[in-house]
Amino acid sequence: MILSSLRMRVTVLAAACMLLAAVSAGAQAFPAKNKAITLIVGFSAGGSSDAGARILASGMEKVLGAKVEVLNKPGASGQIGYTMLSQAKPNGYTIGLASLPGIMVSIMDADRKAAYKKDSFQPIGLQVLDAGVLAVKADSPYQSIKDLIEDAKARPRKITVSTTGLQTGDHFSILQLQKLTGAEFAIVHFDGAGTAMTSLLGKKIDAYVGNVGDVLSQLKSGDIRILGVMDTQESPFMPGVKTFESQGISLLGGSWRGYLAPAGTPKAIVDKLSAAMKTALETEEVKSSMAKLGLQIRYMNAEEYTKIWDEYGTVVKELIPLSKNK
Amino acid sequence: MSVLQDLLMGFSVALSPGNLLYAFLGSAFGTLIGVLPGIGPAAGTALLIPLTARLPPTGAIIMLTAIFYGTQYGGTITSILLNVPGEAASAITCIDGHKMALKGRAGAALSIAAIGSFIGGLFATIALVFLAGPLTKVALEFGPVEFFALMVLGISLLMGLAGKSMVKALMMGILGLILAMVGMDPVRGAPRFTFGRMELMDGLNFVPVIMGLFGLADILENAEESLSSTVSAKVGSLMPSKQEIKDSVGPIARGSVLGTVLGLIPGMTGSMASFLSYSTEKKASKHPEKFGQGAIEGVAGPETANNAHANGALIPLFTLGIPASPTVAVLMGAFLMNGLIPGPFLFREQPELVWGVIASFFVGNVILLVLNLPLVGVWVKMLKIPYSILFAVILAFMVIGAYGAESSIFDVFIMLLFGILGYALKKFDFPLAPMILTLILGPTMERSLRRSMEMSQGDFSILFASPLAATLLVISLVVLVSSALKVFPGTGKGKSDSGSVGK
Repeated sequence: MILSSLRMRVTVLAAACMLLAAVSAGAQAFPAKNKAITLIVGFSAGGSSDAGARILASGMEKVLGAKVEVLNKPGASGQIGYTMLSQAKPNGYTIGLASLPGIMVSIMDADRKAAYKKDSFQPIGLQVLDAGVLAVKADSPYQSIKDLIEDAKARPRKITVSTTGLQTGDHFSILQLQKLTGAEFAIVHFDGAGTAMTSLLGKKIDAYVGNVGDVLSQLKSGDIRILGVMDTQESPFMPGVKTFESQGISLLGGSWRGYLAPAGTPKAIVDKLSAAMKTALETEEVKSSMAKLGLQIRYMNAEEYTKIWDEYGTVVKELIPLSKNK
Repeated sequence: MSVLQDLLMGFSVALSPGNLLYAFLGSAFGTLIGVLPGIGPAAGTALLIPLTARLPPTGAIIMLTAIFYGTQYGGTITSILLNVPGEAASAITCIDGHKMALKGRAGAALSIAAIGSFIGGLFATIALVFLAGPLTKVALEFGPVEFFALMVLGISLLMGLAGKSMVKALMMGILGLILAMVGMDPVRGAPRFTFGRMELMDGLNFVPVIMGLFGLADILENAEESLSSTVSAKVGSLMPSKQEIKDSVGPIARGSVLGTVLGLIPGMTGSMASFLSYSTEKKASKHPEKFGQGAIEGVAGPETANNAHANGALIPLFTLGIPASPTVAVLMGAFLMNGLIPGPFLFREQPELVWGVIASFFVGNVILLVLNLPLVGVWVKMLKIPYSILFAVILAFMVIGAYGAESSIFDVFIMLLFGILGYALKKFDFPLAPMILTLILGPTMERSLRRSMEMSQGDFSILFASPLAATLLVISLVVLVSSALKVFPGTGKGKSDSGSVGK
């Protein structure tokens, strides 16, 4: 009896030691040689989310000395990819791209029946803030955000504003703008930046909300005027264009693209990935590739990124009922 | 004159040995992507972008654009020979193209398709050279309201697609519209007919649906017959007969214009162009009853239109910096990666590159024609493989293709489901074309209508406030009434040929 209990104790102890060793070795030796890290991108190959992820993946490969493979799992506005990520083993070998506010919408909107929650993920870091912009056609009478807001207040629901899709970052930015100013727009949902921009250029709509990366071409050709950038700082891609903040409206909007691991991934591994991300984003190669695509690097570590997560959680929850036109 | 000088300079760039090679490689890869079912032009182009990473910008863009329009050539091949569309824009070609192959006219169908593609591509490129400015203004006239009217016109042509029975055609049209409703409601964000599956949230994926309806259904139907390879003997001459050439002139001319114009309008896809061309041809034909039985017009028109569309879709990219279709969006990404922002100033800042690329469209289309005509013989040899082996190989490719488009096993099941559905529909003599038409046009029609309503806050008069939209709606009404008179001769002064459709 004593003997067997002793043996059991030894076994347990040994097992515990091994587990401990394995855990610390896991963090130390992460990523193991010949083991690839899978980066799930819930959007199709070729889009700007995918392009940014691929640039980062090749940068991180060099820092980590392990392969980082991008796996596209498009569909349901990223939800298919997010579901897969939430169900992956939390060992650092599966990470995923997340786009805010999109992922938060999929969590907060009951209709979406997401199989994951806010705490199913462990944020690693933020890569890109593709800030939102409010644009009008170059010959539009609106010279500033104030002009537009005043007219919208005088003629509620008569000024048409486009989004690039229902419940996208653009949509939430407009809803927030309405909430902050009391103005009311006729919001028109397009699918994608292309069709919305055509309608703006053809004067079918009065104003356009989209991301910096989508309007550079038309800004450069002089066809449109940007009334404001939804960020705390000017965009390096459009110097001289005022922010909303400098015009007295504190509105932050756009697409925040960062990376997540499944919840339960050891902190040491998350920190290692986060640090590798930072190093990769500081290399000239990554910087210039991203600048060419009009993607603005905005690195945040796991803690700072988690804060943005929580903030968006609150904002989105509040705006969800409004976003459904109920 | 300066346009011609610019173009001449472009040719000096495009004809340099290096760029010639890139155009050739792009055309060859494009054809290959087109031949493989499931891998569409957008995914294919995206997958091949890394190949061009080390090339100089001009070479990279020449190669990628060649891949892009090359896919339109390749997609035809499997549609005609195997009844499996290589990509969505060639789906409609299955109907008459494959029938022609069964009659031993595969060679002629492939030749006409290649020639039509060539002319369509050339026409759109010439339009890009000379008319880019004014044409772009036309595209800007299309807002949600005009788009809706255009879709209504497209669907009103559906009656022309009816086979023997108008009732069955209408039923299939409605079924297509119902299937088009699957997915997130575009305004309220509520899921419709998704049965709790998030894979259905974006709607049915079009590629596996048509692969099932056309390809799998056909394999099932053939498999029930004895598997003797009787078809393979009748490959037929590559030379189209005089009559076939004569019949193709009109469809190719109309397809070139239609495809180019639709290419200008952001949101129109290559498949819409080929389907609308098919229904237009059937409407214009003196013998619409031949459609579905192997009419050369049903190959010539759509194949011309989808190529004209592919090259035409580059016009808004070059002139406005707006990607008109998902594939062009991928292409635009490639421009950006090379440090080029597409738009009018690109003509000013990098004239050598822009005109070099435009000149390469001419070069590339010639290469594709040269590449495809002799290869027709090679493709036709595929038919000599015994059916029992061929079917298994096609099936394997179809499963890979359905999976590969979005690496989703769900799409494989969708393909199988629609294969069985298509088989059943064929058995009961339901026409597939009206269903595919509404499935393609339905979502755009719904979205543009609801977008118009968002603009007017629910006031329907907006639909008639635009002269362009009002004109399109009136034309649709005329089409509908004239078709109805043909079908139900008793209700009006029926024309002499009314019986052929209404039987």
